[in-house]
Amino acid sequence: MNDSLKEFINKNREGFDTQTPPESAWHQVDASLPRATKQIFLNSISFWRAAAILLLGLSSYLFFSKANSNSDKRDVAALQGFNDLESYYSLQIKEKMTLVNRFQSQTGLTEDDITQNLKKLEAMYLVLKDEMKKRPTQDVRDALVLNLLVRIDLINQQLNKLDQPSQKEEEKSL
Amino acid sequence: MYNVGFRIVNNADEAKDVLQEAFISAFNNLETYRGDSAFGAWLKRIVVNKAINLVRRRRFERLPDHENFDVKEESPVDELEGYPFEVEKVRKAIERLPDGYRVVLSLYLLEGYDHSEIGEILGIAESTSKSQFNRSKKKLKEILEGGML
Repeated sequence: MNDSLKEFINKNREGFDTQTPPESAWHQVDASLPRATKQIFLNSISFWRAAAILLLGLSSYLFFSKANSNSDKRDVAALQGFNDLESYYSLQIKEKMTLVNRFQSQTGLTEDDITQNLKKLEAMYLVLKDEMKKRPTQDVRDALVLNLLVRIDLINQQLNKLDQPSQKEEEKSL
Repeated sequence: MYNVGFRIVNNADEAKDVLQEAFISAFNNLETYRGDSAFGAWLKRIVVNKAINLVRRRRFERLPDHENFDVKEESPVDELEGYPFEVEKVRKAIERLPDGYRVVLSLYLLEGYDHSEIGEILGIAESTSKSQFNRSKKKLKEILEGGML
């Protein structure tokens, strides 16, 4: 059964996103987030790009900073359980990257922006891990988790991208 | 994300509150994101849940539930076939729908959830979501043809 309303909305989808949040919407968000990472949410359009920039900035800051190396008890408590989280996400990344590599070798596709960004993020991760060993704080831990999440999202994007040609072929064959 | 919240709560101030709550909640619960869906979809679901909770709290009109709505599926006749749709009019007509109708129609047509997912989000049966969607289209037709837009 055709649904003419659904078809109309699908064809004109952008026309239904006309509302824009007031500037003040960000004030409370801004005030509620930890200082080091609140910039992420200031630009919802380029969320992940902002996250990557933030990571780069934070990595650089941590790398060159002569910050106080004494982490307080709260930080230490917050770090507990990080290893489990890291293992879980790292396993996901490993499994998904195996799929990406398999897809790429099958299709003959070479390196693109996403895979290059993944390599950069992996490099940042190693810097952050080093920092984590020297000065384990909540900020470093958050940056590490965010790095893992950004990479998982990028890999998911890459998998979707690689999967598109096969979907089109399936559609054609129907 | 603001538009997603706005379509459910149908009020600019409340949509702003939803957006703020959702973003803060998402940040504070980043660790619960397991990476098995797109990050955008995860965040959108938080916005949807916050918005629905807000509508439920209003209690002016109830969202569909098993007690109030007949779960019998109605025949999905396309009553709007051939209707000369205009984006602005359809958008305003959706805003005029009662909460229960607007939420289901928006989740299905604009946010891309299927009836099974809507059932899970609202805590109703899939068949109730379908039934409510068909009714919401009838109501939308009445509003569009009522000449009040």
